[in-house]
Amino acid sequence: MTEASSKSTIPSKALVWLLVSFGLLLIPQWDRLPPWLIAACSVLALWRWLGQSGRLSLPGRWLRLVIMLGLMGAYVATVHGRFTVETAASFFVLAVGLKWLETRTPRDFYVLFFILCYLAAVNFLFQQGVLWSVLNLAATFVLLVGLQVLNAPQAPNALKAGWKRLGGLLLKTLPLVVLLFIFFPRMAPLWSVPLVSGQAKTGLSDQMEPGSISSLAQSSERAFRVTFGGAMPPPRERYWRALILDRFDGGKWEQWQPDARQPAGRVLSDGGVGALKPNEYDILMEPTYQRWAFALDDSRAVSRNVEETANGLFRFRRPADTAVRYRLARTNPESNVQALSQLDRQRYLHLPPKGNPRARALAQSLRQEHDSDRRFVNAILQRFRNQAYFYTLRPPKMPDNSIDTLLFEVKRGFCAHYASATAFLLRAAGIPARIVMGYQGGSPGEDGRYLIVRQYDAHAWVEAWLPDRGWVRVDPTAAISPARIESGLREAVADEGSFLENEWVSPAKYGDIALVQWMSLKLDAINYQWQRWVVGYQGQTQMNLMSHLPGNLSLRDLGYLSAGLVGVAVLLAAAWSLWRQRSGQSADPVQRLFNDWLRLLRRQGMEPRPARTPLELAAQAAKADPERARMHLAFARAVNNHYYGSGSFTPEDRRRLRFLLRQLRR
Amino acid sequence: MIKSLRQRWRRWVNRRIPRADEQTFTQNNIFILPSGAGVVFGALLVIMLLTGINYQNSLIYLLTFVLGAIFVAAMHQTHRNLACIQLALVSAGEAYPGSPIVFRLRASAKQQSFSVLLQSDPASPVRIDVGPDGPVELELTTTARRRGPVLLPDIRVETRFPFGLLTAWSWMRLRSPGLCYPKPVTPPYDAGGDDDGDTAPSKKAADPDHADIRPWRQGDLSQRVLWKRYARTGDMVIAEWEGEQGNPVWLDFDAFPGADRELRLSYLAALVEARSHTHQPYGLRLPGLKIDPDAGPVHRQQCLHALGTFGFEIPATRVDSGASGSAQYAGGAA
Repeated sequence: MTEASSKSTIPSKALVWLLVSFGLLLIPQWDRLPPWLIAACSVLALWRWLGQSGRLSLPGRWLRLVIMLGLMGAYVATVHGRFTVETAASFFVLAVGLKWLETRTPRDFYVLFFILCYLAAVNFLFQQGVLWSVLNLAATFVLLVGLQVLNAPQAPNALKAGWKRLGGLLLKTLPLVVLLFIFFPRMAPLWSVPLVSGQAKTGLSDQMEPGSISSLAQSSERAFRVTFGGAMPPPRERYWRALILDRFDGGKWEQWQPDARQPAGRVLSDGGVGALKPNEYDILMEPTYQRWAFALDDSRAVSRNVEETANGLFRFRRPADTAVRYRLARTNPESNVQALSQLDRQRYLHLPPKGNPRARALAQSLRQEHDSDRRFVNAILQRFRNQAYFYTLRPPKMPDNSIDTLLFEVKRGFCAHYASATAFLLRAAGIPARIVMGYQGGSPGEDGRYLIVRQYDAHAWVEAWLPDRGWVRVDPTAAISPARIESGLREAVADEGSFLENEWVSPAKYGDIALVQWMSLKLDAINYQWQRWVVGYQGQTQMNLMSHLPGNLSLRDLGYLSAGLVGVAVLLAAAWSLWRQRSGQSADPVQRLFNDWLRLLRRQGMEPRPARTPLELAAQAAKADPERARMHLAFARAVNNHYYGSGSFTPEDRRRLRFLLRQLRR
Repeated sequence: MIKSLRQRWRRWVNRRIPRADEQTFTQNNIFILPSGAGVVFGALLVIMLLTGINYQNSLIYLLTFVLGAIFVAAMHQTHRNLACIQLALVSAGEAYPGSPIVFRLRASAKQQSFSVLLQSDPASPVRIDVGPDGPVELELTTTARRRGPVLLPDIRVETRFPFGLLTAWSWMRLRSPGLCYPKPVTPPYDAGGDDDGDTAPSKKAADPDHADIRPWRQGDLSQRVLWKRYARTGDMVIAEWEGEQGNPVWLDFDAFPGADRELRLSYLAALVEARSHTHQPYGLRLPGLKIDPDAGPVHRQQCLHALGTFGFEIPATRVDSGASGSAQYAGGAA
């Protein structure tokens, strides 16, 4: 900034784009920021705008200080001293809001420009969908247009020209951006900061109380998407295991050994690319902020970012605070079953000493009827199937002896209720049993190429230990409501009308309208590809891709390659502008010929005086080179004739000029 | 150390950009570097890249690359915003010491350029937009304290368009100087007064034999007409006697014995001003130069110019507004 411009003010035409960009960049943060912060920022920005037009004076130093202290105080009170990227992000927004009142000079404009650019980057930490990305990039472009307006406010059509110029720049630089994106080495994190403050997120929890899953059933948020290498398994085989709950205290189920709380860090979000084998499948999971991964029965890990635990579950090394992609493969069930250890047996048979007496009695009587474990399991399922049990999202409250109440009185419940009751009956009869939490089902995405599993597909079922077969899945819900397993929750509760009853804007709610269905599937497909190929383009994928290229490039090679790319781009740009300057110096062909003549005169040791007419120059040339004086004169006359002559200048004349020039060059 | 580097740099620049009254900015004489904001922007890109690496966020990589590529492309844009401009001196001004000497320049460009800043004096930059629809005239000023030819300090021509993240700049070093007149100092006595003082010995012995005869011109005093001859022949002629010191019409360098050169020129400048203020005709006589008596602003300027340049070598070419008819051709000449 020069002295003059740093003292000047910001033109309204430029300021408005700064404000627009700020507004756009706040949108992706709307559900993350406290409402008072958004309101305060809006008021401050509006104040700045009214101050620009003079309708409101901007606050003086003291008032600014008061506002600043007030908002900082409110901020400190809300964050409770936690420090995460999320709180940092909201502090960032607060800083921008406060800066509005101090934005007076172009220098302040630049400060805001930098902060808002970074805010766009911060937004990408939280929102990575394709529409959010477009919004974020658009806000950045608005900023760049605003900068152009700031730098030439007096230019006519500054706005339109600014967009046009920016568009041209983006098009020209697109190849460089794409190449850099592909080849820039994806290094491992240098240090790590937790991303979020562990706030509640829709999804499974590691406890199961009656009713805990039915709240999930009200959400159509996506949980994960799966692409299968082979055929998609039928709905009744789509049991996605995540958690095993093996400890019952009479009210809720939980884990006997909770997952050790890992220090927050970065999960490896990239499962690699390459063709899937027929038995493999690729899962793109939305952030859960937990370590668990979802897997079908009898799977093994393919990508390196997941590992299998003793119970056949899969875990990430760090909580998944970002979308994670991983790969698994289905295997044949193990044929030789190892006996359950004494300790495990005790654990899976444990029940609280008291409570639910009628259920215990039922288990005893059934046990006497069926001595084989398998037949006992079938008897329970038979009971659910034959008696008037109902599958409902609106079960009545069952505070005491919930299992007795469910089994013998209300007979209405959700999957969690029935799973809990089944596991209780099995344990009461001496059969080791555990609750499995996860998802069941999923609906096909566009053209059935992948599977979308949503929160309302959350499910709980039971696994029972049978001596000859090991752990066997027992799903009481399948016995009560086969529609839930075969066609999903929507069909299962269709009569009740309780499907997504509180979600008004979710496209999933209006899934029966063909257009909404089509659009939401289309959007999901785009987002899926975006997530897989752009958002998820990280170390593993890059290495897989590079392995297809010759040369076996290492990360270091990629670094050199990227630096080289930038260098080549700069050189190309320079060469191009040089070429333009040489060749396209003037659109006027006669002017070009004239310039050539001048260059010729200079080469012959003459110094053409500036601001001379062609005839004067010719006279000067004639003195220096008397032999060709006439040719010089003829050339000068022809040029004069072109510019000042009354007659038209024909191509023939131009050819003569060219001829003369050639003769002179000899 | 820094000072000597700076001097070395200036010397190098001066070799690269010779003094000229016309200049086209090209690859060879444009310099480009990130501006202050550009340096901060570069740092911001590094921080964004670190964020992208640390959070393994591909979209932050993408945003960084997009902004970085635009930064590189802006280099080209900013350069081009300057590269197409031609500057030519239209006229170099003349003024008294302490008053602004105005240099008028004409800028033209074959493609549109925005927000080009010209400054020879950092305190008063001139901002122009110039495009193919016609040249733009602008004025730059400087002031001088001493008499003589005055070169305009090097004109820094710079632009930060479109994003202000890069500064492309060049210099124009005008060859033609402006002129600083001598500071007018009223002489203690009016050597050109009506009465003949003793310091201006009169040779007004009306001796036509020693006189040059010339026809009457507008502005000649009626006392000097040879009325006798007029009565005889009907020709109105004027006698110009040799050594006309003391004549009210002539302002003479030699009229102030004892004063040094600069003071004499200052006296003469004051007298020129006094005479032209009262619309009296006057002539100027300097060693080796004689300006015939006349009146009017052009004459005044001619006399002051002579006083200002007296004793200095002035480059032969002086561009003035009369030569601008061929500006179109001059375009390619620089």
